[in-house]
Amino acid sequence: MNPLRMPFWGVDAAWLFYLLAALAMACLGLGLWEKISLWRQGRRAAPAPSSKQALGPALADVLLGRRIWRGGRIAGLMHLMLLWGFLGLFLGTCAVAVDHYLISFLHGRVYLWFSAGLEACGLLLVLGLMLALARRWLLPVARLERRPDDTLLPLWLLAVACGGFMVEAARLAATAPPWGAWSFVGYGLAGLFPGPEAARELFPWLWWSHALVSLGFIAWLPWSKLAHAIAAPASLYLQGQPLAVLAVAAEEGDLAALGLRHLLHLDACTRCGRCVEACPSARAGEPFSPRDVLHRARRQARLKYSPLYRLPWLRGRRQALLERDRAAGWEDAWYCTTCRACLEVCPVQAAPIEMVRKLRAGLVEQGSAVPPPLMDTLEKLHRYGNPWVAKKGAKAAWAAGRDIPDLSRSGQEADWLYFVGCTTSIDTRAQGIARALSDVFTHCGVSFGTLGKKEPCCGDIARRLGEQGLMEEQIEATRDLLNGRGLTRLVCTSPHCFDTIKKVHPLFLEEGLPLRVLHYSQMLHRLWRQGRLTFDHPMPLKVTFHDPCFLARHNRIVDEPRGLLGAIPGLELVEMAEHGLNALCCGGGGGRMWHEIPGQANLAVRRLEQAAATGAELVVTACPLCLIMLEDARKTGGFEDKFGIIDLSELVARALRLTAAMDEEAV
Amino acid sequence: MKILVLVKNVPEVAEAELEIEQGALDLEDLEMVVNEWDNYAVEEAVRLTEAAGGDVHLMTLGGEDDEDVLRRGLAMGAHSATHLCDEAFEGSDPTTLARVFAAAVKDGGYDLILTGVQSADLGQASTGVLLAQELGLPHATMAIALEPGAGEVTVTRELENNTSEKVALPLPAVVTVQSGINQPRYVSIMGIRKVRKMTIEMLEAGDLGLESQALGREASSVAGQSLALPPVGEGAQMLTGSLDSVCGQAAAILREKGGLA
Amino acid sequence: MSGVLVIAEHRQGALREATLECLGAALSLAPSLGGQVTAALLADDPQSLAGELQGRAHGLKLYAHPELAAYNPELYLPVLADIIAASQPSLILMPHSSQGMDLAPALAGRLGLPLVTDCAGLSWSDGALSVQRNVYGGKAVLDLALKPAATVVATLQAGAFQAPPAGAAPTASDRTALTELAPRHARRFLEYLAGVVEDVDIAEADILVSVGRGIGGPDNVPQAQALAEALGATLSCSRPVADAGWLPKSRQVGTSGKTVRPKIYLALGISGAFQHQAGMNNSGTIIAVNSDPRAPIFQVAHYGIVADMFEVLPKLTELFKG
Ligand SMILES: Cc1cc2nc3c(=O)[nH]c(=O)nc-3n(C[C@H](O)[C@H](O)[C@H](O)COP(=O)(O)OP(=O)(O)OC[C@H]3O[C@@H](n4cnc5c(N)ncnc54)[C@H](O)[C@@H]3O)c2cc1C
Ligand code: SF4
Ligand code: SF4
Repeated sequence: MNPLRMPFWGVDAAWLFYLLAALAMACLGLGLWEKISLWRQGRRAAPAPSSKQALGPALADVLLGRRIWRGGRIAGLMHLMLLWGFLGLFLGTCAVAVDHYLISFLHGRVYLWFSAGLEACGLLLVLGLMLALARRWLLPVARLERRPDDTLLPLWLLAVACGGFMVEAARLAATAPPWGAWSFVGYGLAGLFPGPEAARELFPWLWWSHALVSLGFIAWLPWSKLAHAIAAPASLYLQGQPLAVLAVAAEEGDLAALGLRHLLHLDACTRCGRCVEACPSARAGEPFSPRDVLHRARRQARLKYSPLYRLPWLRGRRQALLERDRAAGWEDAWYCTTCRACLEVCPVQAAPIEMVRKLRAGLVEQGSAVPPPLMDTLEKLHRYGNPWVAKKGAKAAWAAGRDIPDLSRSGQEADWLYFVGCTTSIDTRAQGIARALSDVFTHCGVSFGTLGKKEPCCGDIARRLGEQGLMEEQIEATRDLLNGRGLTRLVCTSPHCFDTIKKVHPLFLEEGLPLRVLHYSQMLHRLWRQGRLTFDHPMPLKVTFHDPCFLARHNRIVDEPRGLLGAIPGLELVEMAEHGLNALCCGGGGGRMWHEIPGQANLAVRRLEQAAATGAELVVTACPLCLIMLEDARKTGGFEDKFGIIDLSELVARALRLTAAMDEEAV
Repeated sequence: MKILVLVKNVPEVAEAELEIEQGALDLEDLEMVVNEWDNYAVEEAVRLTEAAGGDVHLMTLGGEDDEDVLRRGLAMGAHSATHLCDEAFEGSDPTTLARVFAAAVKDGGYDLILTGVQSADLGQASTGVLLAQELGLPHATMAIALEPGAGEVTVTRELENNTSEKVALPLPAVVTVQSGINQPRYVSIMGIRKVRKMTIEMLEAGDLGLESQALGREASSVAGQSLALPPVGEGAQMLTGSLDSVCGQAAAILREKGGLA
Repeated sequence: MSGVLVIAEHRQGALREATLECLGAALSLAPSLGGQVTAALLADDPQSLAGELQGRAHGLKLYAHPELAAYNPELYLPVLADIIAASQPSLILMPHSSQGMDLAPALAGRLGLPLVTDCAGLSWSDGALSVQRNVYGGKAVLDLALKPAATVVATLQAGAFQAPPAGAAPTASDRTALTELAPRHARRFLEYLAGVVEDVDIAEADILVSVGRGIGGPDNVPQAQALAEALGATLSCSRPVADAGWLPKSRQVGTSGKTVRPKIYLALGISGAFQHQAGMNNSGTIIAVNSDPRAPIFQVAHYGIVADMFEVLPKLTELFKG
């Protein structure tokens, strides 16, 4: 006998099955349509990556689950089992459909191997599901939640898979085909039935219950977190797109402020909680969770823009839910330091930095829920072009006594514009960076100048705090000044200025000159490679390096500062437990420098605890905000007799024995 | 309720180093910002109308550049604005300014007129009350809470020594608003852009039926004025000597500068 | 057309101190402008409040009516208008207080008189008044010379003038019981509310004794408190002190605390970090005590003392206690 599949073996009322299947498919379709219609409202302004470049990494991330493995082997294994089991069964079901309705090919050896393959997939799925349940209930994986559907979903899938096996087992027990052993799981289970008669008797019951459970699952799929099966690959495909999205004119709809990519994020998230585990704010016990921000954003997006919520009988519920969110307030929008740690670990590249920005933009535009300290900061930024002092012209004071060309004036020329930045030029501690750096540049013979008193704010703080309009104004003012003076080569003190000028300014530069921007660590590193910066004096010191988030994670600059440290003879670099792309944020970003939030923790102290564990005598960083935060934490956290805090530029100046830097040593 | 709020631009001086040029403040390096008390008044008016309906109208008297103080208020939620702008107004004393405002306000049919308690520049704290007299309306100053009722408003006035009093005023009335009455909202650049196209009524002295000789310096009660800066020292003067002597010197300074006996 | 009329101020059964300051200003001005100093006191029971006015004005006019227990401009204005019409003073003075700010412009407006408010200095020459006012948040001083006028209304800045000693002038008083008040509007006084007793507002203090991490720990705070009490000052602090909970957060000066502008800021064991300076560098006089001669606080301070604050603290306290 030729082995072949027996559709609807022993089952009556196939029409009923078709009817139910159609219903389930309708549900599936409705869910997908809702999602797609939401996604379509997003802004697609960012250029889509060329498919070839994007496809490779996306496929590797999806099919091999690279990003999941990175965060834990058991999770990686579990996901691979589920993914391949599920995918295999899905493809198998498709093949069956093709066989049944189009061309019949499932017979003979093909069918036998096919059966065996499906058995294997089903087994993988079952094992994967058991692992999933075990991770949530038996192994203590703290980041995983235990919401009802976190348990229901795997159990349901388990019911689908086991039900499938039982149906098969009954069929094999009843018919005992000679090729039965190929379906090895069902074959093994067939022995559970007392005899062929009983199996035949039970078969329709088993079949129908399996059918119902499976169809129910199909109907539920797009509404459950398994929807990530569609959104996550899409999100991963788009991972190369810049996250920064231009501000939008106020007339445009709300969702248009977000890119397609950000909307995909909402559905791609599986609530795995890795972002919560990585987030410096959540880790420090502040009342904030990136995952929850994303999910509230998802709920809000659906309530406001889903075509379904426009149905009359959902209106009441919509109002109630919107009201509930409003009453709960949005204070948590201010905790995020925009450190990007969440995005680094998120398996689907979905974490909520941009969502936070959007949330803040909404609060800023509405106005009444902006905390007073931030209002003050934003007003200073607007009126005086810096977040610190309500005084014009404060930005040149640090350079008193130094003869640095003011490139904002005509007639003054230099190869490089040194963009000092607000905090570096005004905060008395951070001013040391500007002085050290300008001395180092002079020492190396770099031709540079600054914009003196006229230096505008680059717009970074406004951007991070959600003051879109101000950000635009500042970027435009900067552009006009640079264009007017023909300045195109910039070197920045602050990784924050660097990031914004590099990534956001070009979006406003349509008619402007193309900019070339470096962070000073890159510049010094280059000077060192070129032999223009050499270290002759040994400096026997044990140091550790605190990577600024906007240098490391946001711009992947980790080797240059380390290269410089390595170039100083006698200097020994010891790394903290979390460093480089995994460095823990100092807590100064995202506008938190200018803020006091209820329940806030001193994030920098937590960072210095890691520094203390290295036994280093000096903590080196390369960002004015990190410098201030760490310096402050050194005092308040009781690290004063353990180590000092210094900026890389100051360390370099000290290694070069530049006089000004020696003065600074007192700091 | 139809509410009028008088607003004003003032130079922000808190952290600035002031310079005097020809007997007046040099505004070159100073930013003009909405007078803090007026900002509270606008917020209060907007909140009152948000809660109970009505319109908020803004009015300022100032130079052409001062239009932004109106735009800012519109962005906070005011509905319309008038800009009184005429060289003839320059040099007017508060009494004359109140007369100008009265001419612009008298037919407006406002139920409530709010001003800040004072302005941060010259701090005369008189415009609101003088206007009430010009218009023949009742007034209350130093409001730290407003509760509108039927045909009247209950005003909580801040008094000295952490006490306050409640008074009832029949409407229409003039109330001057003290800082801290509310938490004014943030005004975003986007918000200001949104009101860029709203038209602002511009009025000159002639439109108000005012003769220029009844305005400005001529009509002012002030004959002459001059502005000066208090003297400042450079850097700390270090007190030296024995501990006793240093403490003695410090005590003397405390007595002199702190008016301590 | 001569003399000075001072409108006395009282609340909840007590005369307000600031009235005496006005009398002091009036008495010292009276010789140059000629005429006498008269105080007008409107109250439900004026005699019981008049004690402190005795001997500090030449004339005392008491007006009694049960409804005058609490201030109400509508009740005051007609009475004052009558007094002014009868006595024709050259100058009418009252404190620049919550009452003066409410009353003076109303009086000036209703009677069509010139008005100057919040004066810190007064002088009279050639039949005209000149005044000095602190403007721009006290950062500049404005001298105003008024045109000659029959009667001028002025309010005086609190603390700018000294109360005269009792007996500075022999006082003749007369009392009028008012039968009828003629308010133009129905403004009604409802009630007094006692303020919530919050922690002090350091931004309101005239003198701040401010401690930094140099204070070492909560056990030493009482020492600083003792000095503050001796000086009649308020205690404030830098952020680490508030963070550590040695003083409440409301006492913190700086960018993430409060911005203060006291007459005197006494900084003890504060290094003067930028974030701290930004909150206090506009203080009238800054005196810094720090053991480190290179502490940045000395760059913003007017007077500096390089010393151990725990040596300075008890000495200074003693000097002011005694
Ligand atoms: C974003 C941000 C916001 C901030 N906001 C504020 C703010 O609002 N307000 C604020 O104050 N800080 C603020 N800070 C902290 C600020 O940077 C400083 O860390 C802080 O002001 C230092 O406080 P301090 O002067 O008391 O302590 P330190 O800097 O430790 O100074 C202690 C001083 O006491 C002296 N001293 C020690 N013992 C004695 C003694 N026995 N006698 C005399 N002198 C002694 C020492 O010489 C030293 O100068 C902020 C920091 C950040 C990063
Ligand atoms: S955002 Fe990413 S890391 Fe966070 S819960 Fe969702 S999937 Fe996990
Ligand atoms: S960017 Fe950093 S602070 Fe913000 S949510 Fe992500 S991990 Fe948390």
